[in-house]
Formats: sequence, C-alpha cells, structure tokens
Amino acid sequence: MNERNERPVERQVTVLADVGTMIRDVIGEDWVEEVPIEMNTSFARDLELESIEFVALAEQLKAKFGKGVDFASWLGSMELEQILQLRVGQLVEFIVRCNSEPTTA
Amino acid sequence: MQLGTDNGVTLHVQELGSGPPVVMIHGLFGNLATWYFTAATELAKNHRVIVYDLRGHGKSARTPRGYDVASMARDLDAVVEGVVREDAVLVGHSYGGLIALAFALRCRERVRKVVLVETPLPPLDTGAAVSRYTQVAAHDTAAMLASLPSAVREALVRGGRRADRFLDTVRFLSIESSLRDDLARAEMSDAALATLTCPLLAVYGTTSSVRPSGERAARVVPGARYVEIEGGHDLPQEASAPLTRELVRFIDG
Repeated sequence: MNERNERPVERQVTVLADVGTMIRDVIGEDWVEEVPIEMNTSFARDLELESIEFVALAEQLKAKFGKGVDFASWLGSMELEQILQLRVGQLVEFIVRCNSEPTTA
Repeated sequence: MQLGTDNGVTLHVQELGSGPPVVMIHGLFGNLATWYFTAATELAKNHRVIVYDLRGHGKSARTPRGYDVASMARDLDAVVEGVVREDAVLVGHSYGGLIALAFALRCRERVRKVVLVETPLPPLDTGAAVSRYTQVAAHDTAAMLASLPSAVREALVRGGRRADRFLDTVRFLSIESSLRDDLARAEMSDAALATLTCPLLAVYGTTSSVRPSGERAARVVPGARYVEIEGGHDLPQEASAPLTRELVRFIDG
C-alpha cells in the first residue's frame, strides 16, 4: 500500500474509485453498474440510497480505511436529512482529510 | 455482520464504539438505521452500541412466522449470547421495547437496565388501529400521509426505489407473514410487569396515542422513571437530541 505517498489529487481519485465500488456493492442492483458515481453525485437524488444502505457503507468504510476514518462520529454530527442530502464528494473529502492527518501508527 | 441463530434465523447486526454495552432495538416496519443515525452514534462515544434488524426487517432474514414477542425475545437472546456476551442495557422503540421487556423478564441477571421508547403495552388493539387507519386512508390521503414518520412520508411522496422497498417490507409483514395474528395474541400483564427488577425508563411523546402505556408502566413497575418529550410516536427521528439526552442520563446515572 502506497496510499500515503500519493499526491492529494491522486488520492482523491483513488478514494472516489474505492467509494464508488463500495456504493455499487451496497446497492447490489444491476442499474447501479451503469450509473456514473462522481464527486457531485447525490446519495439521495441520484442513488436513492436508503439509510440502511448507509449503515452497510459505514461498515465497508471501517473495514477499508480503519479507525482513522471515524465515519460514525462524522455522521453523528449531522441530522438524518442532512446525511441523505450528502454528495459522494463530501464523503471522499472527509476520508482524504482523515487519512492525510499525521498518525502515530 | 450476519449472525446465525439457533432459531435458524439469520440476523443483521452492527456495532459502534466501545464501553459498557447498550443494545438498541427498532420498531415494526423500521430497521437498525432507526437508531444508528440518531442516538446510537452519540451513545457510542462512551458505550459499545449494538443494533440489529428484527427478523423480517432490513437485512435480516424474512421468515414467514415468529413475530410474537417470545420468538423475537429469543432472537434478542441470540444477539446477546452471540455478539454482546456481557450484561447489557436494552433500549427499544415501540415493539422493540416489548421485546426488550420480555427478554428482561426471562433473563433478569443479564439485563442492567431497560428503556421503553413509545412502546405500546398489550393487549394491542391492532384490529381497531388497522380499521381506523383504513378509514382515514380511504377518505383523506393528506391525513394518511401526515400520520407517517416524516422520512417515510417524503420517500413515498417522492416515489422510486426507497418507496418501493418500504412498501415491499410493509406488504411482506402485514400480508405474507404471521405478524398481524402474532400481534393480536401479545400479552403483558400488570402482574408480570410488577416483577421487573432492573431500573426502567419509559419515554413517551406528548402527542402520542401510545402514551397511556407509558403511564401504565410507570404505575406498575417498581421505581420506574417516566419522561415525556415533545413529539409523537416516532421519537428517535423526531426528537433525537432530547431523547438521546434522556438515554445518556439514565444509562450513565
């Protein structure tokens, strides 16, 4: 894994690809394979993500990015309606921000 | 994670945070997101929070039968035995509270505290509720929509996949499963309630029709604490912040 050696822009592209794969997996229906998942894709309007699918997404994020990305707390700071209005890019930026902060691992 | 149980039912379970365990149980037609995106993330700062989908709901197995309180309390038992593995606080919304109560009455030593949020206590007058509801729905669409939780209402009005999924759950549970018969047979006597030995918190909405059940619990269960919060039946979503404050105060107090 050379994640920390990537430049921010490259890192964003990598994370977007990872998140896109997870979203397709969580929804698990054929149509979503055809839908482009980009930074300005809306979870509610474009993907119609259900709250329970958000939970499944949270689980996958935890497995992939570890404890440094505290997705649950981030979501906890928002109302449910705000969560459903989120764009994919906001999640990607949050992950990039968490991962680029220095760790003492 | 998916948890296989001795009952042959596979349950979808999720965990957040670490600390003393709190199991949160959603109500009928909901799923674990009822708690996950409301009180659970706040409680998870200092607790290990375990949420799961009831059988027939969310990502748990759709079984044709077993929606009675005793069977669902056995499902909860499987979660406590298979995942929690220590004494826990139980928090249940609506029917989830009844499941928590049934488990606490059967396995006293494994339950630290119980919270009922908008839990109707049997006998459940489901026949009357359904016919009232059908009458309203037949005559007044706006009133029917207004009676639904806001997230459900918006999904239905918008249509699309989320509305389809919700209606699919309702159709399965109310037509294809034994739920309605199971609900009609539910029992919870004052004599049984009076034997609860752990601390109980009952939280009900000021405008909810279920409120008399909370008053009954407060009257019958020794030492019960009763709190009303502004709102209706759907308190976890409608009044997440004040509800969470009450939960933290009771659980950590």
